Amino acid sequence: MHTLPQQLANGLFLGSTYGLIAIGYTMVYGIVQLINFAHGEIFMTGGFGALTVYLVLPHGTSLWLALPLMLIGGAATSVLIALGAERFAYRPLRTAPRLAPLIAAIGLSLALQQAVHNLYPKATSPRVFPQIPSGPWHLANIDIQSGDLFTLIAAPICMVVLALFVRKSRTGRAMQATAQDPDTAQLMGIDTNRIIATAFAIGAVFAAVAAICYGLRYGQVSYDMGFEAGLKAFTAAVLGGIGNIYGAMLGGLVLGLAEALATAYISDIPGMQQLGGQAWAPVWAFVLLILVLLLRPQGLLGERVADRA
Amino acid sequence: MSTALLEVTDLRVAYGKIEAVKGISFTVNQGEVTTLIGTNGAGKTTTLRTLSGLLKPTAGTILFDGQALNTVPAHKIVALGLAHSPEGRHIFPRMTIEENLLLGAFLRKDAPGITEDVERAYALFPILGERRKQAAGTLSGGEQQMLAMGRALMSRPKLLMLDEPSMGLSPIMMQKIMATIVELKANGTTILLVEQNAQAALSLSDQGYVMQTGQIVLTGTGAELLTDESVRKSYLGED
Amino acid sequence: MRHRSLLVLSIALTGALTVTACGSRGGSKSGGDSASGTTVTIGVDAPLSGQNSATGLGIQYGVQIAVDDANKNKTVPGVTFKVKPLDDQAQPATGQQNATSLVADSSVLGVVGPLNSGVAQSMQQVFETANLVEISPSNTNPALTQGPNWASGTKVRGYKTYFRTATTDALQGAYAAQYATGTAKKKNAFVVDDKQTYGAGLAGIFKDSFTKDGGTIAGTDHVSTGDKDFSTLVTKIKSSGADMLYYGGQYDEASLLSKQLKAAGDAIPLMGGDGIFSATYVSVGGAGTEGDLSTSVGSPVDGLATAQDFIAKYKAAKYPGDYGTYGGYSYDAATAIIKAVASVAAANGGKIPSDARAKIVDGVQKADFDGIAGHVSFDEFGDTTNKQLTVYQVTGGKWVSVKTGAFTG
Ligand SMILES: Nc1ncnc2c1ncn2[C@@H]1O[C@H](COP(=O)(O)OP(=O)(O)O)[C@@H](O)[C@H]1O
Ligand SMILES: [Mg+2]
Repeated sequence: MHTLPQQLANGLFLGSTYGLIAIGYTMVYGIVQLINFAHGEIFMTGGFGALTVYLVLPHGTSLWLALPLMLIGGAATSVLIALGAERFAYRPLRTAPRLAPLIAAIGLSLALQQAVHNLYPKATSPRVFPQIPSGPWHLANIDIQSGDLFTLIAAPICMVVLALFVRKSRTGRAMQATAQDPDTAQLMGIDTNRIIATAFAIGAVFAAVAAICYGLRYGQVSYDMGFEAGLKAFTAAVLGGIGNIYGAMLGGLVLGLAEALATAYISDIPGMQQLGGQAWAPVWAFVLLILVLLLRPQGLLGERVADRA
Repeated sequence: MSTALLEVTDLRVAYGKIEAVKGISFTVNQGEVTTLIGTNGAGKTTTLRTLSGLLKPTAGTILFDGQALNTVPAHKIVALGLAHSPEGRHIFPRMTIEENLLLGAFLRKDAPGITEDVERAYALFPILGERRKQAAGTLSGGEQQMLAMGRALMSRPKLLMLDEPSMGLSPIMMQKIMATIVELKANGTTILLVEQNAQAALSLSDQGYVMQTGQIVLTGTGAELLTDESVRKSYLGED
Repeated sequence: MRHRSLLVLSIALTGALTVTACGSRGGSKSGGDSASGTTVTIGVDAPLSGQNSATGLGIQYGVQIAVDDANKNKTVPGVTFKVKPLDDQAQPATGQQNATSLVADSSVLGVVGPLNSGVAQSMQQVFETANLVEISPSNTNPALTQGPNWASGTKVRGYKTYFRTATTDALQGAYAAQYATGTAKKKNAFVVDDKQTYGAGLAGIFKDSFTKDGGTIAGTDHVSTGDKDFSTLVTKIKSSGADMLYYGGQYDEASLLSKQLKAAGDAIPLMGGDGIFSATYVSVGGAGTEGDLSTSVGSPVDGLATAQDFIAKYKAAKYPGDYGTYGGYSYDAATAIIKAVASVAAANGGKIPSDARAKIVDGVQKADFDGIAGHVSFDEFGDTTNKQLTVYQVTGGKWVSVKTGAFTG
């Protein structure tokens, strides 16, 4: 058990990335009750946007200098694609039957994957992402790797800024109003189309931050990285209570921790050797999801649907 | 003498192929209370939602304060001075009473004026003042109705539209709401009132319109309609 | 409104499908179909996109060069060969579909591929039924030729149409263990595999041989293909005190695992089979892979005098992918098919007979020639008789061969 602090840290780093992506699912769902299944690919394009910025910078630029620019480039790419998707795929379908936007989302997700696969240079296999050339740092019993350092700084900042934005800003209040009652929000003078677009954009920025965390952590980005990450993040959003931004972050962390602990310790339980280890981690994560949803169908922090007046 | 604040001419509204409002015309005069009565499904709510831009008319004109509203998007209409307290209240349940009121003033930039108006709403409905930090979803139906009216007033509207403010309320609560309407009128607010409770509504109205299956079938002053035989029969439950 | 919704939807979907279609059509440069004469197609099945595609493309273009050479040298008079590459995306189900479509194309008289043992299992029966010869340049799972009970000594050949130019894991895993305990002096190995036919088989053989050679196993675990995050596993390996990590699987996961292991400050080498022997392993894994080891079948193609012409052609044509691992074996596999076509045609007065497929299977079984990657002939199970193996190590960012030999047991 002496590895426990390290394993918890592993779970938190992993979970932070899930949480950042989950914000995008949850914000859009909270406002338009749409599951944007293309969000995983918006995350992926953010990674490629950031990589592109790095590649066009002069060779040998310090990564600490490049990172802010990569962040801007990645976020710009993600936001552009998310806004395009919202404007041209989802908005025209907003009054259509529920299945239509869902199918559009899946089509868009495939199209984005294939577009990057075929059009981005050498993207048919994973592209190498720059690495912070230092670390690991030792903190008590825990090793923090350079890639995780970015996550460690970025994720909490993002969360705090978002919480303040939603609670304190005018747009944030408009966002809450739109989520609770879009028609009445319009009666207050809120341009709900703008608010919906803003939700997509914020989700995209968070996805781009997550994509950089991912790139730094694994040293690569790939055209298909959005599929699994998106699925995990969606799970996190549901686990935390879809529609609730704190739920998304909490769901991400719980999922990351569950995976880490399942990988690390389940095989130590007598009679469970066969059901532990890395390969079984996603299974345990889904077992957890099912358990939570059985006990709390609305997710950890979700409001019951009945609360929606 | 009385000037028209709102003039609706030959308005038609449809849900898909089904026409719910079939060419109605009516006027709301400055400083008056105008009432639309009619049975369930007559098209009253549809009319109000069209006036505030949530629905688009298929034909006709809406002239408000000299400006055509037909193509103005919903979120820009409140800025022109038209506020709408919707049927079923539609307060924001997970926000506090105060946050709800402040959303009513979403487009206003005059912070001191907003604070003043919040206090005025609390003066009008003291119970809201006592619970200002409470989530609006926890209020009783009557209290929610007060909040919805207070919120609509927060935009300092030229015309206040109230859709069935007494629906589902206890008689005492209903009296309180009706008294408030009288008070608002006395303060010079122009009101377009939709009610099922015809007796109460007509007795405080200057002008009344009776709607039936998407059309206006009868017009008159509140007093005239109250004494009209067919109105008494159909809407006041007398034989 | 409705029309507009449908329009948007169909644009999105068609867009997706079109781009997909563009992607799957690999650049097959067919060597000039002459109007006269017969065209014989050699099918290729390998992952040409996504995971492991670098290696898959090496197979495709290895075959392409063999076909180009045969056409240029007119190896079979009156016959023009062409290549039909199909992408299996490393998926058994896709591989099976590809096998069915190759069988249905009557011009296909032989197939080179697939890359993955798991995919091969799903294809074998399809080819067997159609009497179509299949030569894998890379499948190393012993069960593919020797049946499921090969380990207990009961070797039964399941499919007479299946051959391979790569030697098996039974030798690779044992050769790796020999090197690890003998040359590298490792005593305590952590063993991880990806649960796939190839990876799990290889890891199992390594584990047995390593213990037999006097080593101990510090721990075992499994990963799933496509996994990216190994932080938890890395912590486990680190705390186990292992002095090496053996990984049964492909380079995609292995390079990330090695990278994350070294990033966490555990400097033990990762050793794997030919599945990780790829330039991509080093480029994606970065500096962390320095010192890592792999075994591969045969002798290093770069060092073979017989392969220099092939390498030059590959580079001159600027083909994508990695010829280093299986390019030479793919060339030899295609050549075995071409030679069988030649002898079948020769025996039939220069024409391709109607039962050519069955005769070509017999022809391949009798293959006996010097290929560019070594001698080519097959034993009674369809396995290559060439038992050369090589250990490679990442040195200065490149795989460098450190030991070559024939495994003797
Ligand atoms: N969203 C809607 N979709 C389709 N039909 C509707 C919708 N809302 C109302 N209607 C129909 O339009 C007609 C008028 O309804 P409404 O305006 O709500 O009447 P009222 O407010 O007078 O009771 C009714 O026949 C009602 O069934
Ligand atoms: Mg109504």
